[in-house]
Amino acid sequence: MDPQALEPEIQRVGLALSAAFPSRRGHPIRALDERAMDLASQDDELRAALFRFVDVVPACRSLDDLASHLTGFLDDVSQRPPPLSAAMRMANTKAGRAALGAASAAGVRHMAHRFIVGADPADALPALAHLWHDGVAASVDLLGEATVTADEADRYAQRCARALDTLAPAYAELEPQPWLEHDALGTLPRANLSVKVSALTPLLRPEAPERGQRDATPRLRELLRRAARLGAHLHIDMESLDSREAVLELVLALLAEPEFATGPSAGIVLQAYLRDSPATLDRVLAWAGEHPRDQPLVVRLVKGAYWDHEVVEARQHGWSVPVFERKADCDANFEALTRRLLSARPAIRVAIASHNLRSVAHAVACNRVLGGDDSDLELQVLRGLGDDLGRALAACGLRVRAYCPVGDLVAGMAYLVRRLLENTANESFLHDQAHGVPLQQLLAPPA
Amino acid sequence: MTPSPFANEPVLELRRASERARLTAALGELALPLRVPVWIGGDRRDGDEIASTDPGEPGRVVALAARGTPDEAAAAVAAARAAFGAWAATPATERAAALLRAAAWMRERRPALAALAMAECAKPWPEADADVCEAIDFLEFYARAAIALARGVPLPQMPGERNELRYAPRGVCAVIAPWNFPLAIPMGMTAAALATGNTVVLKPAEQAPGCGLRVVEALRAGGVPPGAIALLPGAGDAGGALARHPDVATIAFTGSGPVGLELLRTAADPVPGARGLKRVVAEMGGKNCILVDADADLDEAIPGIVASAFGYAGQKCSAASRVLVHEAVHDLLVQRLAGAVTGLQVGPAREFSSDVPPVIEEAARRRVRDYAERAGAEGTLVVAPDGRELPSAGWYCAPAVVTGLPPASPILRDEIFGPLLSIEPVRDIEEACDRVDELPVALTGGLFARNPRTVQRVVARSPVGNLYVNRSTTGAMVGRQPFGGNRLSGTGTKAGGSDYLLHFVQPHVVTENTLRHGLVV
Repeated sequence: MDPQALEPEIQRVGLALSAAFPSRRGHPIRALDERAMDLASQDDELRAALFRFVDVVPACRSLDDLASHLTGFLDDVSQRPPPLSAAMRMANTKAGRAALGAASAAGVRHMAHRFIVGADPADALPALAHLWHDGVAASVDLLGEATVTADEADRYAQRCARALDTLAPAYAELEPQPWLEHDALGTLPRANLSVKVSALTPLLRPEAPERGQRDATPRLRELLRRAARLGAHLHIDMESLDSREAVLELVLALLAEPEFATGPSAGIVLQAYLRDSPATLDRVLAWAGEHPRDQPLVVRLVKGAYWDHEVVEARQHGWSVPVFERKADCDANFEALTRRLLSARPAIRVAIASHNLRSVAHAVACNRVLGGDDSDLELQVLRGLGDDLGRALAACGLRVRAYCPVGDLVAGMAYLVRRLLENTANESFLHDQAHGVPLQQLLAPPA
Repeated sequence: MTPSPFANEPVLELRRASERARLTAALGELALPLRVPVWIGGDRRDGDEIASTDPGEPGRVVALAARGTPDEAAAAVAAARAAFGAWAATPATERAAALLRAAAWMRERRPALAALAMAECAKPWPEADADVCEAIDFLEFYARAAIALARGVPLPQMPGERNELRYAPRGVCAVIAPWNFPLAIPMGMTAAALATGNTVVLKPAEQAPGCGLRVVEALRAGGVPPGAIALLPGAGDAGGALARHPDVATIAFTGSGPVGLELLRTAADPVPGARGLKRVVAEMGGKNCILVDADADLDEAIPGIVASAFGYAGQKCSAASRVLVHEAVHDLLVQRLAGAVTGLQVGPAREFSSDVPPVIEEAARRRVRDYAERAGAEGTLVVAPDGRELPSAGWYCAPAVVTGLPPASPILRDEIFGPLLSIEPVRDIEEACDRVDELPVALTGGLFARNPRTVQRVVARSPVGNLYVNRSTTGAMVGRQPFGGNRLSGTGTKAGGSDYLLHFVQPHVVTENTLRHGLVV
């Protein structure tokens, strides 16, 4: 690929996307959320206290209990902004605690609704249809408690099966959106479900990947069959490095079974923050070369959502840290992987999932420089965090899919906290953007 | 010589297939059985009176060991006493250097040593590897701590006098070691004694003489003089003879409560010829409880409890054997925990996929099964040990979970040292603390709770030596989590902490008058 041609194209795409971002005015509720997020991102202690509170809300048994937890966490914050000092004073009376508990629970629920599109797939249908209408496809992710028993794994698999049953006919009734339904390789399924292997088996063991793989295989096989029958896409998410081996082996082995050569459309995830992700891609591409599929394997490229976990785990054990610790290194790897993925078509399909304007512009520009049509590249955003970017992408005529968590607040809390951490991390693009970092800087090559 | 700051030896990253392959290869290369002699100075007496076998394959002999006699115990102490003067006079930095070389010797042989611990004691790979790392950590940690200790403690100085406090070694130390951390614990106690200038007679557990041999080999390879470290494989009579010997100044023991108490009694009664009070450093059993409050994250609590109670088949002194859970989440916890335990795989330690390896020996299996039977009679087995297909050979015990035990049940008091866990509902966390407080032992404890005030409250009330909050209760790291119990769980010492060495030394204070006829010199 000619770097001389690429860089100006990246800048052109970036400017166009930036110009297409919706105006912030007229969204008082969103402004309120952003103020809360901003408050949380200013002070590490406060951020920790608020996240620990958000995390425990589902386990609180009463308003009094909620207030007690909130004030308990705020005890650890040395510098409290005035509204929180007022909250601490309220907690001195029973009535005050009830009011505080109710207000804080409402606040958390309000925030959660920004990220979670519905309590179950049926409940989520209006929001999903709305997105579709706006030119945004979706991948539904079912939130839930961790799977620690075989029963829980079965229940999750059943929820996934029912989700496919609900989503496929509902999407079939929606109006045509040709831009979202075809690329150069053919038809793209409308209904799209993301599943987590850690929820499909309680037996994921880092030192015995074959154990979780074996246990999850029958459940995932049934879901693949159902997706094939319904013409839906099934995407298998990647989680922490502890389970990567099991997840990759599981998916590649199952999709190699003859019955799945003709479908369903299925996908895996590549995490660019992992230093050895290029080697993982080697393996995936070799597999794709050996296993032609009617609907090529979709590879979703993400930065990765378990950065803190990976760093802490490695440090505690004295291992070399498996993720890039410098944002620029991670961004550069993301771009290198993007180029390799786009060049590997048609053996695979490519989805680029990033909220980093530069990374997204780079992918779009690469695709164009390589001679691809815009419809040959899927871009993905997270519901609640990447809504504005999603709208901008759609407005620019790009093919975009929103990753949409579905589930009740209790089940969704762990997920929510992870998303919040990402949003308030100081190096995040969204943070930069909200704080008026010049566009030129946002679009600069990673260095 | 100033060594670099202490850092824990990194365990193998077993999530990577290449690392797993290294261990499996080492198992294939293990030449068994090992011959374990009584090894005093340069004299080796081989024998085969003791055989250690693979708990998962009892027909497979791992080590053939001589059984040290009381006479050999006396000879070993005499040799250690003879070597004491020179080793005590060796500068602390040189002693430390020998321990660091012993650490390097072990580091070069990590997969082979892990394979031996796995074969002899059925330690699953990750734990066998961690055992080797911990042995290395003890060497590295105590070597550094002893250099610091040798600097003494500064005392106030007045004009005309000079005050000095120095720590001197106590003499011969008898180390009586257990089998459950067959390399780490004997090495830890031995390294602490040697680093501070004592000489040592090591009696490894009858079940783990092969690992005991490797401990002594490592130290001698590192340059500890042969006279300063003797190996005395044997049984209780050899240990008793060591403990009673008038020239043994210190007894370092890790093992069961009854044996520890017997050693304390022995030490308290000076025999004819004794020239000092024996000191006993004893780490004994526990009855470790995990408290679960209503606001606990059960997604984290359940895996944490399972790892604490069933890892290494419950055969760690730090293992959890009681869960005290808030009544609001009791039923949910029981249901989810039972499901998780049902999914555990019982199998040989050498299989990476095994969750619960066999217990150490036939008598242990009998004991655990008797308790499980009693649990079924006195309470409700929500996970019953029977009905599971177990490997035909080997001392396998299926994991079990019991609820509804009467408060007086011995299952709530006795250290079972096997994969049996009881669950009790409590009204609130205060009641859970009361129940913990009723126990005569206080080794480890766990708490799953998210309200910081609850955590503070339990921290303030907890009598245990090591309290773990929102994590499993096993796996203490040298230096980071100094380890040891209170009450009847031990003498209150902390292995892997710098003050541990104080138990192996005696302070000497010298005050010199520097005023000569009105002149300060």
